[in-house]
Amino acid sequence: MSSSIYINSKNVFLDTVNSKDYVQLDRVSTIYQSLKDSIKKPLKMILLYGKPGTGKSMFLTKLYNDLSSSQIVHIYQTPILDENEFYKTLAQDIFATKYSGELNFTQFMKIVENSSIDSIPVVLLDEAQLYSDALMEKIRLISDTRTIKFVITLHKTEEEDLIAKEHFQTRIWESIELENASNAELKIYIQKKLMKANCFDTANMFTGKSVNRIFKLTNGNYRDTNKLLYALFDIYSAYDINHQLSTIGTTHISNKLIEMSAIHTGLINA
Amino acid sequence: MLNTRDLEERWLKYKIKSYIPHATIAISLVIIVVITSIFFSSNKEEKKTPLLANIKKEKHIEHVPTVVTKVAKKALPKQEVVQIKKTTIEEAPKTVLIPTQDKLPKSDDTSLKLSPSLDFMKKMQHSSLPYYQDEKNTEKEVLSDTSVYTSQKVEQVLESDAEENIQVNTIEEEPEKITIQRHDTSDDLRDIIKRFKKNNSPALSLFIAKKYYELGEYHKAYNYALITNEIDREIDASWIVFAKSLVKLNQKDMAIKTLKQYVKSSHSSSAKILLDEISSGKFK
Repeated sequence: MSSSIYINSKNVFLDTVNSKDYVQLDRVSTIYQSLKDSIKKPLKMILLYGKPGTGKSMFLTKLYNDLSSSQIVHIYQTPILDENEFYKTLAQDIFATKYSGELNFTQFMKIVENSSIDSIPVVLLDEAQLYSDALMEKIRLISDTRTIKFVITLHKTEEEDLIAKEHFQTRIWESIELENASNAELKIYIQKKLMKANCFDTANMFTGKSVNRIFKLTNGNYRDTNKLLYALFDIYSAYDINHQLSTIGTTHISNKLIEMSAIHTGLINA
Repeated sequence: MLNTRDLEERWLKYKIKSYIPHATIAISLVIIVVITSIFFSSNKEEKKTPLLANIKKEKHIEHVPTVVTKVAKKALPKQEVVQIKKTTIEEAPKTVLIPTQDKLPKSDDTSLKLSPSLDFMKKMQHSSLPYYQDEKNTEKEVLSDTSVYTSQKVEQVLESDAEENIQVNTIEEEPEKITIQRHDTSDDLRDIIKRFKKNNSPALSLFIAKKYYELGEYHKAYNYALITNEIDREIDASWIVFAKSLVKLNQKDMAIKTLKQYVKSSHSSSAKILLDEISSGKFK
């Protein structure tokens, strides 16, 4: 195996949010389908929550790509923290109304009420836990008018659970939780990801044992797995360049190298 | 490119760290197993007293000579005085002593095979030289001529017969070698009794019994011989001291009875000889 295959495999696990990299897993596909169905329903707000690295942003990006061809969808991956800027951006993107001066909530609500859009636009807000409580309250009021549908993602932590309870519990019509992958799902995820990039040799190197070890280290978290595997193939390519591959073998992923990459990424505190 | 060497070093440290708890558990388990096995084996050994008795005897034999050598060392300068006395006693002992020395070890070999305590006595004989030589010599001296010695106590003993005289003579020899020696032996005896109380070794109790017999304290000799027999029933010398003490304590019938029983069970030739001597009246 040439070093290029390890470099290619390494690049597969670059931590980027790209809908093309979306890997279809049975459970994830079901969740995604239910999210798509929820958007069709006359719901005001949909909450997508889960621990960091469970694929919320990827879900949102995938949803945006899938829906953009059929309806008005706007995605905001980085939160707009300034209230005035938030209204101005929404007015410009959804209603094509440019405001040079300040735009407050009352003015924006007037624009919403006077809008003549046939279909309800969908606004996808990533990292919603970063929005202030006041702005979240106003987002809720906007969604109550049923002129804009919001899909928001939240990190699930104890603190953020409180935010979810206080602001959305009674108003959210649909909430979807994303979880870490199981052991079997993780194997499929890794292999599918590699095979998508035509890295069949490295995909075959992942045995049940090696995936089990990776699962123990990452707990099935997609972001941690990506990080770990990126470091793993980085080490593999370094070994290949130094002609040390014969010492670890290439038939299956070496446990030693998995642990080394875990040390490198900080998953193991050595 | 990644610094794989540094990573490998960190990985090695991590591996060692991760094995430490397993290793400590394994080592502690091994230690526990070893300690328990030693504990149980020692318990078993305690139960197997006859076997251990031999081992203990050997151990004590190693210790006893130190005491005996002390006695011998203390006795040595005094013997010079005694020797002067002996020269006055004339040639008779010399002529008798030489053949008996040759004969004695042979008789010991045959009769004392079962009793390691007598090996211990042999050692004593070798280490303390003239004292024990005399003791052994007296056995034969008595057989050949009982009228050799001139001391008062010896004269008393000379009236009695055979092996009994051996013991008596040896006891009386000590007082001959200046009175200070008696104090030494009594001190040593006290030490040995202390040690016996600690170790409970049959070799020591037999030694004490013999010493008391030599000192004429037959009751104590009887007691220590009895203790020795209780600890180890296979020591000929102990039974012999026991029987002799009984005779001395006017318990001749009892002595004959016990000796008969012992001869029956052990077929000991020395015990048989003594039995014959007691029953025939040779030994009084």
